[in-house]
Amino acid sequence: MPRERDDVFSIRDILDSQLETSDQRKIGRVADIEAEWRGENLYLTSLLVGPQALAKRINGPLHALLRALFRDRFDSAIPMRDVKEFGPTLQLRRKASEYPIGRSDRWIADHLLRWIPGSGHR
Amino acid sequence: MKTLLSIALGVVTAIGGFLDAGTVATAGEAGAKFGLGLVWAILLSTVAIVLLVEMTGRFAAVSKKTYASAIRENFGIKFYLLPLASEVIAESILLTAEIGGMAIAISLITGISWHVLFPVAVLLVFASAWRAPFSWIENGPALLGLVTLSFIAGIVALGGPQRDLLPTLWQPPIQQGGMADYLYLIAATLGATISPYMLYFYSSGAREEGWSTRSLLLNRVTAIVGMGFGCIGSLAIVLLSAMVLRPLNMTANTLGEIGLAMAKAFGPVGAMLFAIALFATCFGAALEVVLAVSYNIAQGFGWEWSEDKKPVEAARFNLVIILFLLVAVLISLLGIDPLQLALFASTVIALFLPISLFPFLVLMNDRQYLGDKINGRLINIAMLCILFIAFVVAIVSLPLEIVSGGG
Repeated sequence: MPRERDDVFSIRDILDSQLETSDQRKIGRVADIEAEWRGENLYLTSLLVGPQALAKRINGPLHALLRALFRDRFDSAIPMRDVKEFGPTLQLRRKASEYPIGRSDRWIADHLLRWIPGSGHR
Repeated sequence: MKTLLSIALGVVTAIGGFLDAGTVATAGEAGAKFGLGLVWAILLSTVAIVLLVEMTGRFAAVSKKTYASAIRENFGIKFYLLPLASEVIAESILLTAEIGGMAIAISLITGISWHVLFPVAVLLVFASAWRAPFSWIENGPALLGLVTLSFIAGIVALGGPQRDLLPTLWQPPIQQGGMADYLYLIAATLGATISPYMLYFYSSGAREEGWSTRSLLLNRVTAIVGMGFGCIGSLAIVLLSAMVLRPLNMTANTLGEIGLAMAKAFGPVGAMLFAIALFATCFGAALEVVLAVSYNIAQGFGWEWSEDKKPVEAARFNLVIILFLLVAVLISLLGIDPLQLALFASTVIALFLPISLFPFLVLMNDRQYLGDKINGRLINIAMLCILFIAFVVAIVSLPLEIVSGGG
C-alpha cells in the first residue's frame, strides 16, 4: 500500500459526492465521470449529472429505457475546471442558476410549488 | 440550565418518537390476545431502539453527515437503491396507518366517520410539514403525547393488574392455531419499535440542530430516558388491554377498541384522554415518517433539504413530501382499517430491518466517519442478534398471516 497523500484521489472520493455551488446550494451528486486520453495521460474532463448517467451505473436495460425516454434532456456535464475544492463536498465555482441541474429546483418552484399557499415564492 | 432544558426537550421528543399507530396497535392487540406474553418482545425492541438512537445521534454528531448521505457516498448508488426502496414501500404503508390513526382519534371525539376525516388529517400533516419549523415539529406533538402517561393512571384507577395475569409473562396463553398470530405480533412489535424512519429523521434532526461531539452526553441521556419512557407507555397499553379487553374476549381489532380500557377507568374523560394521546402520537409519527422519507431521498440524491427553509428554497425536497402524502391517500382508498395496516406495515418493516440497518452497522464501525467513537463489539453483536430475530420471525409469520386472512 502506498502512503496516503492529500493530492491523490480515488474514484470513490468523486463518484456520488455532493455538489455545492458558490451560492451554497446543494444541486445534486456526481452520477458519473468522463475522462479522455491526452497522449499518455488520462485526464478527468467532466462530472456527469442526471438520470441517464445514474442509470448507466445501475443497469443496462434501465439506461436504454431512460435514454429513449429522456433523450439527454435532463443530463448535463460539469467541466472539471469548475471544481474549486475537493473534499467531503465538491465546491463549484459558479452559481446554481448557471448549471442546468441547479435550475431544476427553480423550475419546480416556479411551475408547481408557487400555486400552493405559503410556498414563499416571489 | 440550558443543558437541562434541552435534555428535557430531547426526552419528550424521544417519547413522541417511540409511540405511534404501530406501537399502540401492537401493544393493544398483544395485551388483549396474549396478556403479558409479548412483554419480552417490547423490552427487547426497546433495548434495540435505545442502542440505535444513541448510534444515530453519535454518527450525525461526529461525522457531521446524515445516514442517507453516508450510505450513498460509501456504498454507491446501486446499493443505496436497496434501503431506499424498502424504506419507501414500508413507510408508505405506515404513513397511511398513522394518518388513519389521527382520523380515528378525531372521529372518537367528534363522532364523524374516520373515512371522512382522513383527508382532513392529510391536510394537517401537509400544512405542518410544509411550513412549520423543525423545532415545532419535533416538540409540538411530543408535548401533547405526554397525555399517554394518563394510561398509567388508568391502570391504578382500575385497581392494578389481576394476579392471574402474572404467569402469562412467561407462559403466553397461545390457543390452538394461535401460533401464527403470536409470531406475527412478535414481528410487528419489533418492527413497530425498531423503526428505521427514526434513523433518517433523527440523524437529519441532529444536523438541522447542528450537533457536535459536545452533544454526545445529551444524546445518550435522551436515548435511554426517552425511549425508556416510551417503553413504559407501551407497556401501560399492554396492561390496560390485558386487564380490560382480555376478560371480555375482545381482540382489539380496531384502534377505538383499545381505547375502551381507558373509558372503563375514567368514563368519557378516559375515552377523551385516549383519543388525544392517539392523535398526538399518530400526528407526531406521521410527520416524522413523511419527513424521514423526504430527507432520505433528498440527501441520497444530493438535493437542498431543510424544514427551516421556505418550500421554494428546497423545492425537490418539498415536492417529495407532497408526492409521498399523495401515495398515502391512494393506499387509504383500499379501505383497510388503520390498525390492521399498522400491524402489516410494522411486520414488513421487521422483514426489511436487515436491509435498512445492516449498512448502518457497517458505517458505525468505520473510523473514517467516527474516528475513535466507533461501536463496541458488544453493541454490534447485540444489534446483529436482534436484527436476525426480527427477520426470521417476520419471514415466518408474514406468509401465514396473509394466508389466514389477517387479524
